[in-house]
Amino acid sequence: MSATSDLITIRRPTAVPPPANQAPAFTLDASLAGKTIGLRTDMAWRSWQLIAEEWARFLERDGATTLPVETMSQVGKGGHEDRTRIDTWSEKVDGGFVGLGTCGSCTSFTIHDSVTLEQHEKPAVAVVCSEFESHARNMARFLGHGDLKVLVMPYPLEARPDDELRQIALEYYPQALALLGVQS
Amino acid sequence: MTAVLTSEQVEVSADPEAWHARSIEERWGDGAPLIPPTDDRVLAMLAASPEPADHVIGVLPPQHGVATIELLAINAVLAGCEPAAFPVVLAAIEAILEPGWNAFGLTTTTSSVFPMLIVNGPCRDDLGIDYRAGCMGGAGGRGSMTIGRAVALCLRNIGGQRAGETSRSVFGQPARFGMCFGEWEERSPWASLAQRAGFGADLDVVTVHGGKGTYPLADIHNDDPRDLLYLIAKSVAFPLSNLYLSGNPENGQVVIAINPVWADRFAVPFPEAEQVQEFLWEHAWQPIDLWPAHNQQMLRDRDRVANDGKVRLVGRPDQLVPVVCGGLGSLHAVALPSFGESQLQQAVVRRPSA
Repeated sequence: MSATSDLITIRRPTAVPPPANQAPAFTLDASLAGKTIGLRTDMAWRSWQLIAEEWARFLERDGATTLPVETMSQVGKGGHEDRTRIDTWSEKVDGGFVGLGTCGSCTSFTIHDSVTLEQHEKPAVAVVCSEFESHARNMARFLGHGDLKVLVMPYPLEARPDDELRQIALEYYPQALALLGVQS
Repeated sequence: MTAVLTSEQVEVSADPEAWHARSIEERWGDGAPLIPPTDDRVLAMLAASPEPADHVIGVLPPQHGVATIELLAINAVLAGCEPAAFPVVLAAIEAILEPGWNAFGLTTTTSSVFPMLIVNGPCRDDLGIDYRAGCMGGAGGRGSMTIGRAVALCLRNIGGQRAGETSRSVFGQPARFGMCFGEWEERSPWASLAQRAGFGADLDVVTVHGGKGTYPLADIHNDDPRDLLYLIAKSVAFPLSNLYLSGNPENGQVVIAINPVWADRFAVPFPEAEQVQEFLWEHAWQPIDLWPAHNQQMLRDRDRVANDGKVRLVGRPDQLVPVVCGGLGSLHAVALPSFGESQLQQAVVRRPSA
């Protein structure tokens, strides 16, 4: 059987991604003194809860007030309440850290909630593990916030001893502040 | 009136093997051969749509691709759908786009979860949607094999869902090629899945379940239907279920496919589907001491443990969803476990007005 050289015309099946329409990324551009810094955790990730607790301690030490918020659901009544809580939290803080992106959907929602904070014209830093960095940046771009600040942490964080997580919290704290735009 | 197509035209070889190679190179498909979406085929598909070609049905995550009827039709052609099945594809996409289905999370998760389509209504026979022996794979009905595949291709080509990139699914699952089956309503002793959701029996309805896989159950030892249903409840409440990961037991459903022979047995003590659900819920739990100590604490912290030490799989009976289908060989059931953060969604199949 010989291959035919005839050509046919078909229609391309892929969608053109929406225009980039990248929103500006906000930065704090101030010292921590008198600022309220939010820390968004997810009930799923104990490693990030511990790191966020450490950062809260550091932030308070450095003059900020901290405001934690924890999410649990993506859909249903719980999901609606979580997104409402993120919206309210975004109004109250001057900027915040949002994590943790260490799975597919939790990275998507980490970016989603970071974008909510940015939409309130507050600086957000999405905290993700290295395995999910490209996914986080893709999702930020798909949501029109390609310049969103992303702090990349080691992967995996789960199953590490608490002492090691505290060390990681200490090690990454200066980078976290720099991405938020904290001035000394 | 003939639609005017606006999607980009591409010249490809008419040779089937060269076309197949090109489709793989362009990443348009799932690895299996595709039907070339020529204008005449796309137009035939569009003629079966209740909406015009330029109508936007929604924006498909993860890359927020704009899903026009035309693009959906092109992908339905690729999948091998016959035009009469296109409205079922459209209904499935409508259901997927409902916020409660959580396409934003499910298209990007590390989980294997994927849209599993369950069809009720008269169209099952006309379109070759399998609901008897081998309905979840192997029966080979054209509707079953192509409608689910069309939805999968829409997620890939319009939503931009690609394994290892935008989709972080660790394993995927065979249903990611596409999964679509029907309920054997005529052999069910209960109201159908669609009827229980309030739809008339004369309507074609697609239910979309975010299912993690097909989890097989088998039995030859239990003659009492209550004993058998009890063991089904215990089996679906396995300790590493996603539903035990969440702090929120109110989200997600487990679909339990029950063969018609077992359904008849269950219907003796439980003549209504809701009674089956209630009984399943009463027994779909595990004792807290099943889990290691650290995990026990986490379940307690998340308020998942009742005073009597039961850790229920789900918060309500209606989250355990029986569907009657499969062959008459009996002996087996299949659970379609839930991702958790996703709710069943349903849409009526709409066709063009005569």
